Amino acid sequence: MTLADTLRAIVGETHVLVRPAELIVYESDGLPGYHRRPSLAVFPADADEALRVVRALAAEGVSFVPRGAGTGLSGGALADGTVLLGLQRMRKILEIDPVRRVARVEPGVVNVSLTKAAAPFSLHYAPDPSSQTACTLGGNLAENAGGPHCLKYGVTLNHVVGAVVALPDGEVVTLGDPHGTGDAAGYDLLGAFVGSEGCFGVALELTVKLTPNPERVVTLLADFTSINDAAETVSAIIAAGVLPAALEMMDQATIGAVESSIYAAGYPTDAAAILLVEVDGAAAGLDDDVQAVDRLCRAHGARDVRIATEPAARAKLWQGRKKAFGAMGRLAPHLVVQDAVVPRTKLTALLAQIAEIGGRHRVRVCNVFHAGDGNLHPNIAYDAGDADESARVHLAMKEIMQACIDAGGTITGEHGVGLDKLAYMDSLFTADTLDAMCRLRDVFDPERRANPGKVVPVRFCREQRPHKSAG
Amino acid sequence: MHHPTSTADLTALIRDAAARAQPLRLVARGTWLNGGAPVSTTAEPVHLDAFSGIIEYEPGDLTITVGAATTLAELEAVTAAHHQWCPLAPWGGDAGSVGATVATATAGPFAHALGLPRDLVLGLEYVDGTGKVLRPGGKVVKNVAGFDLTRLLTGSWGTLGAITRVSLRLRAHPATVETWAVAIDEAHAGDIVRGLRRSATPPDACEALDATLAVQLGLGAQSQLLVRLAGNAAFVAAARADLHSRGAAVAADASLWMRLREAPRAAVARAAMSPGVRALNDRVKRTFDPANILNPGIMG
Ligand SMILES: Cc1cc2nc3c(=O)[nH]c(=O)nc-3n(C[C@H](O)[C@H](O)[C@H](O)COP(=O)(O)OP(=O)(O)OC[C@H]3O[C@@H](n4cnc5c(N)ncnc54)[C@H](O)[C@@H]3O)c2cc1C
Repeated sequence: MTLADTLRAIVGETHVLVRPAELIVYESDGLPGYHRRPSLAVFPADADEALRVVRALAAEGVSFVPRGAGTGLSGGALADGTVLLGLQRMRKILEIDPVRRVARVEPGVVNVSLTKAAAPFSLHYAPDPSSQTACTLGGNLAENAGGPHCLKYGVTLNHVVGAVVALPDGEVVTLGDPHGTGDAAGYDLLGAFVGSEGCFGVALELTVKLTPNPERVVTLLADFTSINDAAETVSAIIAAGVLPAALEMMDQATIGAVESSIYAAGYPTDAAAILLVEVDGAAAGLDDDVQAVDRLCRAHGARDVRIATEPAARAKLWQGRKKAFGAMGRLAPHLVVQDAVVPRTKLTALLAQIAEIGGRHRVRVCNVFHAGDGNLHPNIAYDAGDADESARVHLAMKEIMQACIDAGGTITGEHGVGLDKLAYMDSLFTADTLDAMCRLRDVFDPERRANPGKVVPVRFCREQRPHKSAG
Repeated sequence: MHHPTSTADLTALIRDAAARAQPLRLVARGTWLNGGAPVSTTAEPVHLDAFSGIIEYEPGDLTITVGAATTLAELEAVTAAHHQWCPLAPWGGDAGSVGATVATATAGPFAHALGLPRDLVLGLEYVDGTGKVLRPGGKVVKNVAGFDLTRLLTGSWGTLGAITRVSLRLRAHPATVETWAVAIDEAHAGDIVRGLRRSATPPDACEALDATLAVQLGLGAQSQLLVRLAGNAAFVAAARADLHSRGAAVAADASLWMRLREAPRAAVARAAMSPGVRALNDRVKRTFDPANILNPGIMG
């Protein structure tokens, strides 16, 4: 029996794909530019089938790549001649416990579906990647995804309390403390698993916290004629002790892209930058925080501050931000998406450096980012068919990333390393640290069959063992 | 007794001990050496107090990097000068070190509202059981580069490495802070705490004290709820009104929080491990401390 037959026997005929034409959709993820074709794609219906698939792959010594919705922005979910294990059919919300304020879900549940399901209890799932209408909670766990509201509420790590995981050898373990019984014993293996980008095994079930909906939410849009002023306002708001739920920034290039798209949100196109600030929480005291933000924006040169309190008006302000990557994607056939983090006080200097680098290489950088966290997304739309332009884009990106590292920052704040950021790992970490990361991966996956070749460049992993590919 | 003063010293000493299969007992400030299960009596103490002091503090970033043996008191003093603080504030008080708080993942009264040690640590420097100096994580508030050795070390009780540096997230001091004590019926303590935490104006700390502890803290002979309200003036006013509607609240001194943290506490029983999780734990230990020399036995 071939591997495909074995897998068909587990998940059914129609849920195993082997023909190249059918596999094409799985050749890339949310980041255009990388194409890797899996040898086969298999889509289990539930945890039991998924486990049997993992065990069948283990028995054959075959490598595999877990995949959620494929919205990842680092090439993490690409399978290069190996098996793609798609979790998108596993989209059941197994339990919502409004008393303990947790939910138990399958990994393929789409982020926003959980928030919708929790709405009757006035609860929501707080981490809100801009891709939340498509990305899965399993993918969020694997990437330790963030989102605009993570400034106040924390990232995925802070919201996952337990996970049932199939290790690549087919063993099942429950990590963390899904039942809230007290301190989990031993090492924080759940903490280690979060953000492991599919290299430590497959999350079959997640238990996540649900957060009470705020009593009141106010969104402010401040527009600036100088990008420096906008960046300095960010530091001023944080320093003043106001902790907004979200504090996002968009530069003129991004505003232009958004306003000329179907996602137009009414942003001032002549502004050098805008800040989108959301303040939420108890009704008591909220107006004082709103006024403080308004005052700080104006004191730092904001030309205008619009305040939206009604849901429809707020949603409109947010729409442009949430769809900014999509809007940029329309500027040119290809888009490089970056995801660096710098200390907040370095934002102004970094934005100037990015502009200088972009100018020197004649590329147009669009900045849209989680400013409150110092999490930059300097993106460049370009035509990969133009060899000269591509070369300039890549040079500019390399310099931008190096500038972020030199400023004391990091190469990814939420999108993960995947394939795309592998090349930067040794500018950030020592060879010994990278080797230790490989050793940690070997604890979970000694055969290195789960998502091989991602996250840590192979040359830093001692004693690399060969792994078999399927097909 | 060993007294390394640099990571190079520490590396040499750990390599030497590994070669001799000599167990080591890591000691930072030595305030809580009976925490955890007993370490092998043949272990040689390694004093890490040389790894202390503020390494980098840019208040505008709301982050700080300190030597691991820096006392919590020093962290508090340095950050307070800039109207900031670190919500680690663990049980046990401020004489202990930042590194030990992270190594033991000891939380305190603010953990529920403001984060556990794993939520507050941004990056580390440590020397593992093979003598390698490792620097996972970083000093920025968001970071997903590489596999998360920082979380692995947090709560590892010194069994996977000797932590030498810690980068932490800080918070700005709230504009208004008030501490209140409310006499409660101990049988309903859980419900009252839950109710408060779920109110529209939740406190940033809320601890039920039994009668013995209440007496120790000079709050009288009845069980008490110690509550800290923090935020802007209007928020705190609303929170205070809500608290008063739940019971007779009496204004209390902020210093009670330190006294509460310093008061003896019953050890928390740890959940049992499944065989699969136990096997992973053993593999982690064998990977990063193959000679089993770092604080052997302390995790039970
Ligand atoms: C327009 C747009 C906006 C975005 N905005 C944000 C943002 O604001 N914040 C942010 O953090 N990200 C953002 N992203 C990136 C992406 O949406 C997130 O990384 C998301 O978490 C990926 O989820 P997914 O289900 O698509 O995962 P996939 O892309 O399918 O997979 C991502 C990684 O997770 C692994 N994986 C998936 N499921 C599992 C599982 N069950 N068990 C183990 N490993 C698994 C895969 O192997 C892969 O390495 C954005 C993407 C787009 C396209």
